[in-house]
Amino acid sequence: MEKHNALKELILDKRVMLLLAITLIALSYSFLNGLKFGIDFSGGTRIPVLLEMPVDSQTMNSMIESIKTRTATLGMTEVKVRGVGDSQIYVEVPSSDPAFMKQVQSVLSQQGVYWGIVDGKAAIKGDDIFSGTIVQVNPQYLQGSADWGVSFTVTQTGALRFAQVAKGKANYPLFMFLDRPTDAIIVIKRKTFTEPSYALEGVSLTDEDLVSAANFALSLDDAEGNSIPLYFEEELQNNADALSPRTNKTKAIIDANASAEVKAFLREKGFTLLEKTGAEMAPEFLSASSEFSEFKAVIARWDAVGLMSSPYLVPAITSGTPSYSYQITGPAKGTGQERALSAHAEAKEVESILKGGAFPVQISIGSSTTIPAPLGSEFLKLSVIGAIIALIVISLIVAIRYRNPRLLLPIIFISVSEMIILVSFVGAFSIDLGGMAGILAAIGVSVDAQIVVTDELLKKGGSAHAQKKLDSAFAIIITNATVAIIAMIPLLFSGMVEIIGFATAHISGSLLGVLISRPAYGAIVEKFLHIEE
Amino acid sequence: MELPNIFEGNYRRLLPLPLLLIVIAIFFIPSVKQGVDFKGGVLISLQTQENVDALSLEESLKSELGSELSVKKIESALGASIEINLAQSEALSRAETLKGEFFSQVDDVSRLEADAAIFESGTLTNDSLIGSDAPQKYKVARERLDSIANELFFLSKMEQKAQDAPNTNDLRKMASRAYTKINEDYQAGVRAAIEKRVKYDSISFEIVSASLSGHFISTALWVVGVSSILAIIAVFFVFRSFIPSAAVLIGATADITIALGAMGLFGIPLTLASFAALLMLIGYSLDTDILLTMRTLKRSEGHARERAFGAMKTGVTMNITAMAAFSALLILSILTNISTYYEISAVALAGLVGDLFATWGLNAVIVLWYAEKKEKEAGEAKSKFTAFYGKK
Repeated sequence: MEKHNALKELILDKRVMLLLAITLIALSYSFLNGLKFGIDFSGGTRIPVLLEMPVDSQTMNSMIESIKTRTATLGMTEVKVRGVGDSQIYVEVPSSDPAFMKQVQSVLSQQGVYWGIVDGKAAIKGDDIFSGTIVQVNPQYLQGSADWGVSFTVTQTGALRFAQVAKGKANYPLFMFLDRPTDAIIVIKRKTFTEPSYALEGVSLTDEDLVSAANFALSLDDAEGNSIPLYFEEELQNNADALSPRTNKTKAIIDANASAEVKAFLREKGFTLLEKTGAEMAPEFLSASSEFSEFKAVIARWDAVGLMSSPYLVPAITSGTPSYSYQITGPAKGTGQERALSAHAEAKEVESILKGGAFPVQISIGSSTTIPAPLGSEFLKLSVIGAIIALIVISLIVAIRYRNPRLLLPIIFISVSEMIILVSFVGAFSIDLGGMAGILAAIGVSVDAQIVVTDELLKKGGSAHAQKKLDSAFAIIITNATVAIIAMIPLLFSGMVEIIGFATAHISGSLLGVLISRPAYGAIVEKFLHIEE
Repeated sequence: MELPNIFEGNYRRLLPLPLLLIVIAIFFIPSVKQGVDFKGGVLISLQTQENVDALSLEESLKSELGSELSVKKIESALGASIEINLAQSEALSRAETLKGEFFSQVDDVSRLEADAAIFESGTLTNDSLIGSDAPQKYKVARERLDSIANELFFLSKMEQKAQDAPNTNDLRKMASRAYTKINEDYQAGVRAAIEKRVKYDSISFEIVSASLSGHFISTALWVVGVSSILAIIAVFFVFRSFIPSAAVLIGATADITIALGAMGLFGIPLTLASFAALLMLIGYSLDTDILLTMRTLKRSEGHARERAFGAMKTGVTMNITAMAAFSALLILSILTNISTYYEISAVALAGLVGDLFATWGLNAVIVLWYAEKKEKEAGEAKSKFTAFYGKK
């Protein structure tokens, strides 16, 4: 009876309750969201992308984004791209097909293709531009109200081509495409144009105005490239007979959320589907301001077809005389510091488009590591068994050392809850081999600390109060954990992805121990030993 | 089961054992092998059902590939796996250097080319910054770039000349392709040579280029440097006096030395994983060192030797449980052939054994000597003081 009360008291102890609560939260979190495993355990291929020089976090993020965009064109949904330190990026793919890997590698190392189109004709091609000459213009040399500018120089062929195409097209938009799809159609929902999400200032536009603006941006009257015909999902079946792929490789660009029937219909017709997100499918319109005097509306950006930006042509360059150097300028949003930052970002984007979407720094592809899926799951199974065996062996040692099986319960309880918390914490990101080893090591440290506490409490000459004994045990434990964490922290910032999982698991294990589970253990053991007396 | 206190009597007799271990360790440290991460080169792992003779495979691959390599066979519960370790290919390293040089120059050459093109078009305005020497400047720079590109093309066995590229944009693409081809050809060559000899279920290539291994080495050194400095500061902050802090740090250093020696003796390679394990050992080793030093110096109950022995009982239990955890990992690594597990657990076990000697044979001796010296000093000061009083 008395024991029952003691147990109740124990569970109601704040320190124990905290540990129990966190364990429960961790358990339910991993049940709801599942655990993520690295390719070590799930199988797949890891391709390291090495940057030629260290970059700041902003550049790193834009590198990661552009790698994601590129790999997305392959239709790979489960590609994981993560930055490691300041000079590496890991691309992980859940596949080990060598042909597929080659595709990924070539997509990564490939340059994008830039096209500048004026009124349905190619005015500038990426190859026309001397890539070294694409630079941001120092803001103090900008004319008029522009906040940013990018200048570049073209080859003779380029200068002639531009002069010819742009002649008489003053105030026309220059549609700047990056990897504009060739041999493709685009299928969108009609409501993309009817939904009043385009608040174009002071201009009333009909659906037809918007549709014709879209068709204008998609047109290309060229021998190799082609216009991209626009279809509406809702009306697709109506003119079913007229719709057929031009070649056996014709792509249909479509919203990934389009109905299964529409997708099936297109596939049946022989199209290869190129699925895009809703945001990518929606064009961004520019209001018909004085610049585009000829047009009611102009599309400024349309990710689904690679349309990145649409500056207008100033009359001076539409005379038909070839010119070698050009400048693209524009306004920025916001005021003060914010304006300067936004100007810089805009300029950077245009610079990158002109360079064919080239990464801000040179990259090289490292060696890829492939782990077959069955091997990965075998690794995982054995690792879990290993962890359980380790726990059993540790418990046995503790039991023999103290010859007190009662101490086993708290140690097992604490270790298991720590393991649950750590696995769900690390698993919320990704558990790899290093992370698994780190979790095991953290359990080792945890048991070590519990031994320090137990020994201190069991010490003979028990004149000292239990609380005082606990305090002196914690002095040692906290010092230990602090020093261990301090020694491991540089690893976290080292950018060595292979062992970051290890360091993360180990450090979070130490923190968890000092802050939560050791106090709980102290409370439990104190009570247990009281009962003994 | 009450063990006798090893610190009774002349505890200095404990010193020779850890010192001997350290000397032996120092002897073996030079033979620590660098893994592919730090040395660079190619590590190929393949899983096979065939019964492969590692030695003859090594010989025949050597003669075909003409490169330094070693073959290791590992039997495990999941079947046999073969590890082939190829030395850094000179051609690959050279190609990497050339690529670096090429891309560091190509933008400048491209700008000069643009200047030259504008100059030659005759559309120059008077205020232009482009001088009449623009074409000449471009020619010189382009020739330099061409010679780099040509060496790259030669290595890639591509029948093309940099001079034939109409402009730097094309040259850039050609160089990029050549570099990729060199790497692909190399991998394909090695793969074909292996395929001829072994039928495998799966194969993985881990290619660590010279620049990547250089990066790993410099990062590792940075981590070791920063970790050590931080740990030293933390230890001094805790103890705030020189000898106890030094004793703790000597204990940890001795432990890492012994672990490194064991790596040399047992052929555990220095890889990123074993490197992480070494860093973890700093933590583990400081654990027991701090336990000992705090219990012996910061407490007052009983005699220093008793406190040290009490700490030892706790510390040894800690070590044994940690060893149990890592033994489980080691057995797991042998069953699965996961080298990450093997390297971490083997280094940790070696370090934990080393820690037993370093902490209780070396650190404890220093701490006890210091504690007893202090106690004696305190005693002397007291007697002098009474003597002084007596005279008065």
